[in-house]
Amino acid sequence: MKLGAHVNPGFDLEVRTLVRRAGGPPPRILYRVIELQHLTKRYGGTLAVDDLSFRVEPGHVTGFLGPNGAGKSTTMRLILGLDAPTSGQALVNGRRYTSLRMPMREVGALLDAGAVHGGRSAYNHLLSLARTNGIGSARVVEVLEEVGLAGVARKRVGGFSLGMKQRLGIAAALLGDPGILMFDEPVNGLDPDGVRWIRGLMRSLAAEGRTILLSSHLMSEMALTAERIVIVGRGRLIAEATVAELTARYPSLEDAYMALTSDSVQYGAAR
Amino acid sequence: MKSVLSSEWVKLRSLASTYHTIGTAALMLVLGVLWTFYVSSLADERGSLRAAAPEQGFLPLLQMSLAVLGVLAITSEYATGVIHTSLITVPKRGRLLLAKAGIVGIATFLAASLILLVTYGASRLIAGGRRLGFNEASFADDLPMLLSSGLSATALALVGLGLGAAIRSTAGAIVSVVALLFVLPGVVNYLPPPWNTRLATILLPNLVPQIVEQRLSSRLGDGLLPPWAALGVLLIYPIIALIIGLIALERKDA
Amino acid sequence: MSVLSSEWLKIRSVRSTYLILGLGVSTILLGLVLATSAAGAYDAAPPEQQAAARIADLEEALIIMPQLCMGILGVLVVTSDYATGLIRTSLTLVPRRWPVVAAKSAVVGALALLVGALAVFGTHLTARSVLGGRFSGAYATAFADRLPLLVALTLTVPVFALLGTGLGALLRSAAGATSVIVGFVYVIPIIVGNIPEPWSERLGSLMISALPRQITGDHITTSVYGSLLPPPAAAAVMLAYAAAPLVSATWLVRRRDV
Repeated sequence: MKLGAHVNPGFDLEVRTLVRRAGGPPPRILYRVIELQHLTKRYGGTLAVDDLSFRVEPGHVTGFLGPNGAGKSTTMRLILGLDAPTSGQALVNGRRYTSLRMPMREVGALLDAGAVHGGRSAYNHLLSLARTNGIGSARVVEVLEEVGLAGVARKRVGGFSLGMKQRLGIAAALLGDPGILMFDEPVNGLDPDGVRWIRGLMRSLAAEGRTILLSSHLMSEMALTAERIVIVGRGRLIAEATVAELTARYPSLEDAYMALTSDSVQYGAAR
Repeated sequence: MKSVLSSEWVKLRSLASTYHTIGTAALMLVLGVLWTFYVSSLADERGSLRAAAPEQGFLPLLQMSLAVLGVLAITSEYATGVIHTSLITVPKRGRLLLAKAGIVGIATFLAASLILLVTYGASRLIAGGRRLGFNEASFADDLPMLLSSGLSATALALVGLGLGAAIRSTAGAIVSVVALLFVLPGVVNYLPPPWNTRLATILLPNLVPQIVEQRLSSRLGDGLLPPWAALGVLLIYPIIALIIGLIALERKDA
Repeated sequence: MSVLSSEWLKIRSVRSTYLILGLGVSTILLGLVLATSAAGAYDAAPPEQQAAARIADLEEALIIMPQLCMGILGVLVVTSDYATGLIRTSLTLVPRRWPVVAAKSAVVGALALLVGALAVFGTHLTARSVLGGRFSGAYATAFADRLPLLVALTLTVPVFALLGTGLGALLRSAAGATSVIVGFVYVIPIIVGNIPEPWSERLGSLMISALPRQITGDHITTSVYGSLLPPPAAAAVMLAYAAAPLVSATWLVRRRDV
């Protein structure tokens, strides 16, 4: 893992995001933190995210769990400013994502690996993203090597397998060498080798002091990768705990998840 | 801003559809050459004739092709979902649209001007000394027409971009451009005078003739705008479309 | 049959379908505006000008609206399946493949026939009632005399819809197929109108918009198109516009990798 060499020490960020509220609580360092404050999103008549508040902090992988339709992806979209919250707010490094000048250098995200133009080469896809934040082509080549796509860099993305597209999406997230990373189901479609690779990547990114928010439905994988767990259901926060706490109270993380979300499953078989 | 522009340039040049649309626009040259050969042979039989200039007769082809380029610059991102990634990397949506407009504007103006100039040059070379009606003015006299034709194609491409951002659907945006370029002028033609000329005078396809002080058509007669005003209206179309696109982009969830 | 009902369900469960159908039928409103303004102009004119005044056939002038709308709908029923990847599911469920294309064509064709009839007859009857006895020509003659032309005009709308479906399946790209449709309705006729005789008339006779009057033998001198084809030939050309892209698309869809 060569990422360590590029870690932005972030001192300037630290100074810049020092939030000082006049007469309020003492200044807090909000470096590498995702913070949700009463985040709410309503689509027509449905509440996709309902008064959600939690913090994601650096140094470990935070698992983001919940049944299908629980609002995980919507939450990530709200954090990234793709959708506007109905009320409340989501902050990264103490600021709204849309106010960041070089967002890729602070936050990297993989939402939907399929969202690529099939006619473009992997290299050009990444280069077009990199250029927006003043990132050079050398870094593009670097991340392509890191995710193992260097050999197909000039191939059309349309011909990629799902697993290769996941790797491409991860490469895009890593481009700006950000302190905060969010991955929505990155393990989907990866072969066992790829699954193990992701696990190692997530852990080493966290060990470098980054903040990692990772959603997945694979409980066994999550138990191996994450240290803290946030569980949501029907848009609301159900539990926020360490994996150790959960596995102490339940036989396994999967059992903990099943027990905690049993009331919140909207789309599932009778059980 | 420079970085976003450079990203949009990478996007535009790495898509096959960019080359398809510019290639279709460049058919103007092929058709123009065939056309000039054809009318030249007629002129050899009949002496002289009044034929339409190829760079004017085939202008709708150029305009429409480059408008599709403008539409695709944004709707292809919606169709593939790349728009999410784009907005994550450039959360300031106005900046994204402005950069797209800049790149699409420059690329289409250069492509259109090049195609028009080459078509113009080739047809005049083929025509030689024959009297074809369209080859009697000097290049200096024809230059404003060539430049404003190129500008009209750019304006249409930017209208396509703005409407594409607002509508988010390739077909929907193309149809809207078609409405502006063909349907409205067609319908306005059927209004009783003086309203047909009054409305036609501000419609997109009638602006280039007014900029170079030509009549609109035998039916509509002269336009009502002086050249500078027609040029102004030509610039207002893309500005309005881009503002509509920007409002939609800012207001709606991606 | 099940393929047909599946395609029908698919098309009626998409919001843009209603937008397109509405836009196609809204031609009647444009007809109303044009007829009303023409009637106003007629009433304001002195009697000697009234006698010479003519009005264009509004349903013929406006037919491009439903033609374009239904052509686009034809494109979209195919290309949206390709864009979303649904086509893989469709073709897995119907491995013979041709029924998918046939069912899409049938659904779009039937809708286009309906929209075409509403637009053409609606515009004609609206203009007739607004204009009353004003203007000699199209709206002063008996309705029964106009009927063949109105039917022929109506039929061009499903022709466009099937042309769109065929092009969509051939090109698999909404932008490409839409552009070709637009080319057929607008760009090519303009180019053909600009070329010198005799080719302008020869090619003009083959334009879709020139076919209705050649089928009914209802020629007018002011047409920008040609009128060289006898009725059976014109009908055959019209059929070919719909069938040629569809047949080649069906052949290609069966052979091509999805």
